[in-house]
Amino acid sequence: MTERASSVSDGADTASFGEPLVELRNVSKYFANEEGLFSWLSFDRDADGLPVETGREWVRAVEDVSFTIRKGETLGLVGESGCGKSTLARTILRLLEPTEGSIYFKGTDLADLSGERLRNTRKDIQMIFQDPQSSLDPRMKVGKIVEEPMQAHGMLNSEDRAARAQELLEKVGLDPQHYNRYPHAFSGGQRQRINLARALSVNPDFIVCDEPVSALDVSIQAQVLNTMRDLQQEFGLTYLFIAHDLSVIRHISDRVAVMYLGQLVELADKRELFENPTHPYTQALLDSIPVPDPRADGHRGVLEGDVPSPIDPPSGCRFRTRCPELIAPAEYDLTDGEWECVRSFVRHVKRRDFTETDPDTLRERFFDGSLPGGGAGVLLSDAIADIAADDWEAASERLLSGFAEQSVCAREEPDYEVEPEQGTDRHTVACHLCRDGQD
Amino acid sequence: MSAPLLRVDDLEVQFFTEDGVVRAVDGISFDVREGELVGLVGESGAGKSVAVSAIMRLVESPGRIVGGCIEFKGETLIEVERDDDGEPYRTDATIPDGELRERIRGREIAIIFQDPMESLNPVFTVGGQLREFIELNRDLSEREARETAVQMLREVGIPEAAARYDDYPHQFSGGMRQRVLIAMALACEPSLIIADEPTTALDVTVEAQILDLVDELQERYDTSFVWVTHDMGVVAEICDRVNVMYLGEIVEQAPVDDLFYDTQHPYTEALLDSVPRPDETVEELNPIKGVMPEAINPPAGCRFHTRCPDAREACKTTNPDCRDVTDGVTEHRAACIKHDAFETAYEGSPPLETGAGGGFDVSLSGGESDD
Repeated sequence: MTERASSVSDGADTASFGEPLVELRNVSKYFANEEGLFSWLSFDRDADGLPVETGREWVRAVEDVSFTIRKGETLGLVGESGCGKSTLARTILRLLEPTEGSIYFKGTDLADLSGERLRNTRKDIQMIFQDPQSSLDPRMKVGKIVEEPMQAHGMLNSEDRAARAQELLEKVGLDPQHYNRYPHAFSGGQRQRINLARALSVNPDFIVCDEPVSALDVSIQAQVLNTMRDLQQEFGLTYLFIAHDLSVIRHISDRVAVMYLGQLVELADKRELFENPTHPYTQALLDSIPVPDPRADGHRGVLEGDVPSPIDPPSGCRFRTRCPELIAPAEYDLTDGEWECVRSFVRHVKRRDFTETDPDTLRERFFDGSLPGGGAGVLLSDAIADIAADDWEAASERLLSGFAEQSVCAREEPDYEVEPEQGTDRHTVACHLCRDGQD
Repeated sequence: MSAPLLRVDDLEVQFFTEDGVVRAVDGISFDVREGELVGLVGESGAGKSVAVSAIMRLVESPGRIVGGCIEFKGETLIEVERDDDGEPYRTDATIPDGELRERIRGREIAIIFQDPMESLNPVFTVGGQLREFIELNRDLSEREARETAVQMLREVGIPEAAARYDDYPHQFSGGMRQRVLIAMALACEPSLIIADEPTTALDVTVEAQILDLVDELQERYDTSFVWVTHDMGVVAEICDRVNVMYLGEIVEQAPVDDLFYDTQHPYTEALLDSVPRPDETVEELNPIKGVMPEAINPPAGCRFHTRCPDAREACKTTNPDCRDVTDGVTEHRAACIKHDAFETAYEGSPPLETGAGGGFDVSLSGGESDD
């Protein structure tokens, strides 16, 4: 079967190993945030003319993402829930239309394809989903499930399809005798293997794996990961491997891309990323994972707060609202220690998690009794006065517009490249801390 | 050492289903001392959650506690013995349902579940639910309870606690909802909190925040915890002592450092080997062969022998109890007959052929019973 398989794929193949297979250029995907028929209408009594406004809110799920995936490699895509990983995956498969930007597969823009040509290209791009339970039709036998994509693409005759399905079942580590069973007779790990066999049936070049092992127990996870790796070598597959678990990503990937709130924040060779994480978000992610070693030094919980809404993401660097290394605004001349105090004060006022309102107590608690000099000091004492007058909103507003919004992090979108310490692959980081190494 | 806060002795829970009796928890014993965080770790289906829900007598039909005894602060939460016909019954020492509800649940022992959305009522405000709980359990007036509730929300790190008091659960993120549940659990300053996979549904950065919070609160209130998880990383981070469960039994019981550095049971070892590491690159993972057999029809002898790399002929017949296997100062129990503490024929017995695809047959025999 293998020979037949490779002869089929060789014919259409144009990219050789290490060449770009998939290329994303400035891909964005927005969704309209609407619940209900008239949600795009809003009333505004104070408006001139008609007291009605029309306007849609957009959820900016993926914004301006560019990267390439080379043939034969595994690109890991990691990020927390809601950061747009799955939306990006679906956009690549053209299950969703990108709002902006283009996606090239083997040099052709997928957006230009339609009808028969799109169908043919789809054969080369397959997907494996997270939930092994709901991604298999419970009323179809396993054999038919694996054969269905071949049938859809008019591959082989029914006899050969059955033979190929059985061979594939064996390849993914199942018993070919299970051809006639229903999915319910299989465990989660085995179902994920059936998904693998189905994806492989049409000889794809590229498989998008969306959290393929997160629903599995650790011991089963390891089995499936090993099988995926073996299959990659045997069939020369290219994976886009999406996961939220950095340990899994570290195991399977060649290069890793880290996503936050719809944007890529860091992309580098796996070793480089794990040994030399440069973006504060990547560092925070790495520090947060519990290490299975009681003697490892505890170092965690570095991030505060929650991910902001993608409807109205922060300006500049999207991570700045939670970033522990926000850069001080250039116009104030603050020492590192002073800036640290200011940020802590701003954070606490924003979260309103203390009850004292007396100016002296606040000065003592947050600034050791003396405020920094210059414009920053004036701003701070105004804010403290606001709090004394019990106007928290005003204090918070004053501090945010005076400090956080003045930082370079809020004013410019970062995009830098650093010299890799490990290997020679490009290492891109979206963080203004890297601006010194530039130009 | 003082008497343990919680002592679980030979607990057995069975589910009487149409397909037969599922022995979900099959004779486990462990204890929790004051101020201690005890882990209960294992894969899904090992019986962890059933074991902890038995502590509060929350096992639901068709499940039943059919044997064993659970003592908490010298009181018997449940004791089940069998009469002459082998029919299980509760002994008189067991405290009555009403008393358990009023005195123990919530006040002395609190529980935090995995899914914070399902534990909060979506039609009441977060603050209202917390206030009601405090009002009932601590006999405070509504106003005092409200103040305490806001104070608790602030304590667990909810921003703008006073303003968010009137929010509904859906307006909170997953991590914040879990914080609310922790606030609720802590509100009555219980001596023991049972946490059933409380961070599994959360993102890593949020999980780290919650683990930090638990550490901090434990220090302040000196609460004991039973922490159920499948994540060895979490175990290493927070547990003092660990119980490893496999198929309804505890196979290893040790202080956390010993468990990782002086592993005594092949299952624990295999489990540790199969986890990808975040802090180093591992070329090839060593997965455990096969999948866990079903508890409805567990293998005879040692339950792990079908997947065990060290299994020998003798393992098919002897089901070892969990006994102390090291002569160290700290107790370290393991249920494996390869240790000298068990005087069996392990040494002379021929090795068993496991692995090499055999694992899949094991699971599929379970699947076949469905047809």
